[in-house]
Amino acid sequence: MSLAKTYEAPIADKRWKTRKFVADYGVYIALLILLLVGAVLTPKLYSVDTIAVVMRQASQLGIVAIGQTLVLLVAGLDLSVGGIFIMTSVVVAEVGNGRNEMVIPAIATAMALGALVGLGNGLLVTKRRVPPFVATLGMLVLVKGATQAYTRGVPGGFVPDVLGIVNQSWSFLSIPLILWLGLNAIFIFVLRGTSYGRKVYAVGSNIEAARLSGLPVDAIRISVYILGSLFAVASGVVLTGYVLYVDRFIGSGLDLDSIAAAVVGGTAFVGGRGGLLGTIAGVLIIQILSTMVVLLGLDVEVQFIIKGLVILGAVTLYSVANVES
Amino acid sequence: MSEYILEMRNISKSFAGVQALKEVSIRCKPGLVYGLVGENGAGKSTLMKILAGAYRADAGEIVYKGAIRDQASTAEIIDSGISIIYQELALVRQMSVAENIFLGREPRNRLGILNLGELYDRAGELLKRLGIRLNLRLPVSELTIAQQQLVEIAKALSQNADLIVMDEPSAILAGSELDQLFRIIESLKLQGVTVIYISHRLEEVFRIADEVTILKDGELVATRPIGELDRATLVEFMVGRPLDEVFPQTEHEQGELVLVAEDVSTDTILAGVSLELYAGEILGIAGMVGSGRTELARALFGADPLTGGSIKLAGGGEARWGSPAQAINAGLALVPEDRKTHGLFTALSVRINVTIPILSSLTRLGVLKRAAEEAVVRGAQERLSIVMSSSDQETQFLSGGNQQKVVLAKWLSTDPAVIILDEPTRGVDVGAKFEIYKLMRQLNDRGIAIVMISSELPEIIGMSDRILVMNDGRIAGELAREEAGEARIIELATMGGSEAALT
Repeated sequence: MSLAKTYEAPIADKRWKTRKFVADYGVYIALLILLLVGAVLTPKLYSVDTIAVVMRQASQLGIVAIGQTLVLLVAGLDLSVGGIFIMTSVVVAEVGNGRNEMVIPAIATAMALGALVGLGNGLLVTKRRVPPFVATLGMLVLVKGATQAYTRGVPGGFVPDVLGIVNQSWSFLSIPLILWLGLNAIFIFVLRGTSYGRKVYAVGSNIEAARLSGLPVDAIRISVYILGSLFAVASGVVLTGYVLYVDRFIGSGLDLDSIAAAVVGGTAFVGGRGGLLGTIAGVLIIQILSTMVVLLGLDVEVQFIIKGLVILGAVTLYSVANVES
Repeated sequence: MSEYILEMRNISKSFAGVQALKEVSIRCKPGLVYGLVGENGAGKSTLMKILAGAYRADAGEIVYKGAIRDQASTAEIIDSGISIIYQELALVRQMSVAENIFLGREPRNRLGILNLGELYDRAGELLKRLGIRLNLRLPVSELTIAQQQLVEIAKALSQNADLIVMDEPSAILAGSELDQLFRIIESLKLQGVTVIYISHRLEEVFRIADEVTILKDGELVATRPIGELDRATLVEFMVGRPLDEVFPQTEHEQGELVLVAEDVSTDTILAGVSLELYAGEILGIAGMVGSGRTELARALFGADPLTGGSIKLAGGGEARWGSPAQAINAGLALVPEDRKTHGLFTALSVRINVTIPILSSLTRLGVLKRAAEEAVVRGAQERLSIVMSSSDQETQFLSGGNQQKVVLAKWLSTDPAVIILDEPTRGVDVGAKFEIYKLMRQLNDRGIAIVMISSELPEIIGMSDRILVMNDGRIAGELAREEAGEARIIELATMGGSEAALT
């Protein structure tokens, strides 16, 4: 009788540790299981060609997902990235207009405009206290609309050929993949090893405590929205180089996928929790699943169903795991 | 059927490995008032939340009206006759008094349409039974906090409650309002209703309770009929040591003037507050909740903008600050009242929490110097004896006392000249409380000036060198330690506005 009581506390403790383990490592275990399932169901997944395709697509999604993760970490959300892809594509074609020497000014122009969008998002969220969902949704519509008004629905100009360099690859290694991994390396370090990263987590974790600790909370949030837009420009450039023409629907779906990747990877909507390693795993899970659907010869619609289930499953798991102690 | 309406037997509960309750048992007979006392963090609220069905006990059983109660929903528990009135009142502010009382159980006619006439009649009867005079049609938002609490009691009675739990009702009530509450409790007793009255104010317990149960650190210390207790014994039960050992004293001369606030007013509630603060002293700020104590702390720290007046550092001349960042640079620190929402990054590690205000001194070109950072954390851990598994531990998994120490460590790392402590020992266990008091004295010895806001009068009287009593956004009076008694402080804190202005 008394024995049973003595063991009450350790059991509660163990349950909590399991939850913590799921929250911290669940996504990596899920990725591992997916890779094992893939080996059985779709062995083709492990061919060099398939890996190269998966990695290229993962890079396109992954670059914008870095920015999205940063924004989510400060308890924000960026829906405007979809507009930035299209804007980037149009700007690169208009400014570059087929001239290879203009590719740097073209990208610089896209980045400047992207930064402005991010600044707008940041100012709306901080100074006007507009909820991030609404602010960035409005910005998405504005940027899309402005781009269409500018092109009058018929995008002109030509993408400089030199941008095709992003299609360069060596076995499964490609320029987008190198860019994705490089940017991840830099920003994983920024988040973990610099005071800026600390402040990002602090602001996302508890904005009032951050303000009372003397942090410039508005400046930090604005800077993160600007970074988020710049990552979207980078993804947009890679996407434009991949197709080498102006596409009004470029990157469609990647905007919401970038949120999904971060959330599946364990970055919390409430901010302050998560990070880029998880997002990398989230990106890979989404991309591998999509590829497996294709390899299995299933309809593309199935992709969405599976993607939806994965997102809902991940969110459910995290919400159970993060039940307030 | 047994003579007890409620028996909670050997209730245990732990959160994330922290034992909040350990085999606690209480029993209640109908028509009596039971005092449940203990320091903050003793487990009183946890026990009541288990009774309310908000938490599930890890072990133990609840016998209610002669039957073992299984896990039940809140609605089922209310139906069974248990009502709990929490400190945070759960009223719909836009609705009228009567509508709130019958919320969700409004009388309807055969067509399912609201019968407003009956609603107001029945609400009126209820209030009459309680001896409460209130305008039934007034929206709750127009009522004072005390009146709102009366509405909660009426609501509990309308649910035919046989057992009413009141969680620290006096925390938000002043003198005459408290008298009214006690009269109501007496009449509830006569109607056979059992009342569990949670409080840490001893006078009230002696005044109203028939039997007292004392909890400490999640364990049952004693249950005694009120006649067998005196004040000193009760205090010793609660804190585990005689009262005069609780507050460490040091003798020291009044130091130099460090900070002067003149006529400080804000948009919030402050209306012309002036104070002087001297090195090495503890200036206690007393007053009811809502009297402007927390607002004063925020104004001093630059967290709320001033609409009038000035705050100056004695040494540095004019140093008016418009933001916490500037206040920190000027040598101020604020340990806020609400640790979880204003003080702590609960999802982040101890290390991040402690070093966040001094990051610039721990970086080179923005890159963190790990060794220097770790040294700061280790120093803080030793100095404050913070119990943690590692500096990577998330602060949400620390006990209340250790969380408070982390917040203190964070501010000590900035090497401040003035520390404002808003309810420094709220939700902190007794052991840690004593350590925090000792730390405050050590800081005094180093010349640091402390402003301490507290609702706990023994703490205010035991620790302060001088006491300012706030009332309605003003300073109602200043008391030297020698002349301060609980009665005098309460008097100043509860005077009407005009009287306060005269002092």
